[in-house]
Amino acid sequence: MSAEPLLRVEDLKTQFFTDAGTVRAVDGISFEVYEGEIVGLVGESGAGKSVASMSLLRLIESPGEIVGGEITYKGETIFGLEEGPDGELREREDMLTNEEVRTRIRGNEIAVIFQDPMESLNPVFTVGSQLREFIELNRDLSNGAARQEAIDMLREVGIPDPEERYEEYPHQFSGGMRQRVLIAMALACEPSLIIADEPTTALDVTVEGQIIDLVDELQQKYDTSFIWVTHDMGVVAEICDRVNVMYLGEIVEQAPVDELFYDTKHPYTDALLDSMPRPDRTVDELDPITGVMPEAISPPSGCRFHPRCPDARKACKRIHPENREVARAEGYPHRAACIKHDVFGSDYEESVPIENGAGADQQTPASATDGGRGESERTDGGEHDE
Amino acid sequence: MSERTSGTDTGTGADTNANASTDTDTPSDAGQFASEAGQFGSEMSGETVPYGEPLVEIEGLKKYFDQSSGLFSGVSVDTSQFPPISVGEERVKAVDDVTFDIRRGETLGLVGESGCGKSTLGRTILRLLEPTAGRISFKGEDLATLSGEDLRTKRSEIQMIFQDPQASLDPRLTIGQIIEEPMHAHGMLDDEGREARAKDLLERVGLDPHHYNRYPHAFSGGQRQRVNLARALSVNPDFIVCDEPVSALDVSIQAQVLNTMERLQDEFGLTYLFIAHDLSVIRHISDRVAVMYLGNIVELADKEELFENPQHPYTEALLESIPVPDPRETGARGVLEGEVPSPVDPPSGCRFRTRCPRLIAPEAYEWTDEEWAQTRAFMRAVKRRTFEPMTAAELRADFFGGTLPQGEPGRIVEEAIELVATDHESAAEVTQAGQQGETATDGGQATAGGGQSRVVAWNSATTLLLESFAEQSICARERPAYEIEPEYGGESHFTACHLQR
Repeated sequence: MSAEPLLRVEDLKTQFFTDAGTVRAVDGISFEVYEGEIVGLVGESGAGKSVASMSLLRLIESPGEIVGGEITYKGETIFGLEEGPDGELREREDMLTNEEVRTRIRGNEIAVIFQDPMESLNPVFTVGSQLREFIELNRDLSNGAARQEAIDMLREVGIPDPEERYEEYPHQFSGGMRQRVLIAMALACEPSLIIADEPTTALDVTVEGQIIDLVDELQQKYDTSFIWVTHDMGVVAEICDRVNVMYLGEIVEQAPVDELFYDTKHPYTDALLDSMPRPDRTVDELDPITGVMPEAISPPSGCRFHPRCPDARKACKRIHPENREVARAEGYPHRAACIKHDVFGSDYEESVPIENGAGADQQTPASATDGGRGESERTDGGEHDE
Repeated sequence: MSERTSGTDTGTGADTNANASTDTDTPSDAGQFASEAGQFGSEMSGETVPYGEPLVEIEGLKKYFDQSSGLFSGVSVDTSQFPPISVGEERVKAVDDVTFDIRRGETLGLVGESGCGKSTLGRTILRLLEPTAGRISFKGEDLATLSGEDLRTKRSEIQMIFQDPQASLDPRLTIGQIIEEPMHAHGMLDDEGREARAKDLLERVGLDPHHYNRYPHAFSGGQRQRVNLARALSVNPDFIVCDEPVSALDVSIQAQVLNTMERLQDEFGLTYLFIAHDLSVIRHISDRVAVMYLGNIVELADKEELFENPQHPYTEALLESIPVPDPRETGARGVLEGEVPSPVDPPSGCRFRTRCPRLIAPEAYEWTDEEWAQTRAFMRAVKRRTFEPMTAAELRADFFGGTLPQGEPGRIVEEAIELVATDHESAAEVTQAGQQGETATDGGQATAGGGQSRVVAWNSATTLLLESFAEQSICARERPAYEIEPEYGGESHFTACHLQR
């Protein structure tokens, strides 16, 4: 474990102000990324993982806003607030301006790879010219040198016959090839950190395998750090060094990958792993998580997972646990936000278990699940009907 | 063609009888099914086919698509021939000669990558698409020849569930209306009866019957897929084609829906054709699994057999590619080279041969395994242009460790090396032209010119290598179809690979 993390995120909060109310998409998450490691950000849709990763580059647009927390990258403040003389929060002076973030950080220091490679490439320009322009702008190279660099990068990411394909348009590339182009683009300025937002989700499994292998290879060569956003635990197991599991805007567990799978500390992670069909063995009965994730607009009281948690007790409705260190592994903390662990010193042990329909029949999950509104009522023990 | 693949017709009498008697669930399923029938008072036409017997038999099924539908769509221009314009249809062979059967009460998983034709196959079986050739027999009746009212009536027995639960529900109808619509269309029950049945179905698929009057937007993705299930079940089908029904859902919701589908299969005595790209889901839900590649079924076997003892190199590659949710699993991945060829002009013989890591050596020459492996790698590298131009000596060292194969193959390889190497006479002018291009001020045009002759040399090297080696392999000359002895379970195991010869 190296001394200073490359990226430190502390208590980051991003909210969207909508007519229906405030959506707390990211609600106080903290994590670090060290040099040369791949950190996973995993969760179901709506967990806030994409919003979290976009917040890191201040790419949140209205009605969304980063409302709190601190993002430090290589000692520079990407985002930070302080209390002004009038008690109002204001942006700190050492915080980078929009201009600085745009010219110095994005692309050069932190690059992004998005899920849909077709959407990220402009269909009316050739693949080569888009890559060349990007290199020209960010690295201050001449047109010719940038072109050569672009061809070299295409070759580097395994595109056959790069000189010829340089002249082709995005629609002439397959999905896997387009994703390779985006990886080339991300790597072109040799950034220290790449945020990969579900980069293999739209790809076929054999192509996904190729891309994962490519990233592994390039990561070792360039020693780039990655934040790998995904919903797929298989990909996490394959590629990540450390993992953050997100649920409803919060990180509920943070651990090195082996500990996450073999010494799981949060019931949500456990439930997620149990609900997955396995490719490597036949599972007779899947054990689904009851209900659906409530909406971030009105999260449940206490622990946000308690309405669906098989281990939930009365105390869980009351206490909102932060992500605390419950063990150490390989020099890294293993954090979990669950009061069943002793470090929380709560009255979990004495508390009465809540019936969450665990072990009940199949109807329970669905009948109680039309969005977040009904969620908290339901846990008070009633069947939720209209 | 279809005789060759008749091996997929696994439902021989002895087989299925054995299966029925070992499957202890079968009798109780049947009983439950019968009680369902009594409860709804609807005709149970499926009783003619016993459990385990083929319900759907597909034979030599083909579905070709015309490439486009414009005025000049049939006209193609090729400047390399005379006359340069030809009129002929290029047809996409989405499903090309597929033969298999689906047995009553089973879930047949159909897995493959995007573009392999699995969804087209599903839709063609339902006659949502007109088959180009072949027979689709459902309970002994050929759907491919049915039309009009007969086909419409038949549709109450076969239903479909689509991938996108949002797009397949009309946002202006309440879910009650949605579920009752198929019953309307088939003239089932009266208004009250339909409402009662819709509410009953809602409960059975795990929704609250009180939600009868709500609109689809009020439901989550998983719930919408349940509405789709209820709608499909409303007309009491025997057979449901499920096209990626859980792909759009989150893992935890996926498990809920999968469990519900399994429960409903027992309750209603359903037969599923379950189309998916996710091998984990397929492994969970299927009884037997068919693997599709470029319009063909390459392997079909019992689930356990297919996952534990795969015989086709494509199935193996597919299984090796899945990321396993276990960080201690560090199995090597057999990365597939290249990309899926165009279904307009698919490779002859075995369609996977152009990417197959175990392409069989042509018998015309004497090979050692190593020589063939090197030549195969070189041939594909030339074809895909995966290496940079280099000298002949470098090529020999890189691909053949310095020594070329013995005899005739060696001579052909040498010829190909001469064509692509940078230091040979045939290639000399190419390099010169290329250099001129690079030094010229207007780089793009000149390089393109230099590239042109380089391309010609590469192309002739590619043609030479492919014609001498790849086209000579048994994989290119015969379409494979083999029946092998399974290691797991008593089912037959079909594999379309000449390694079994």
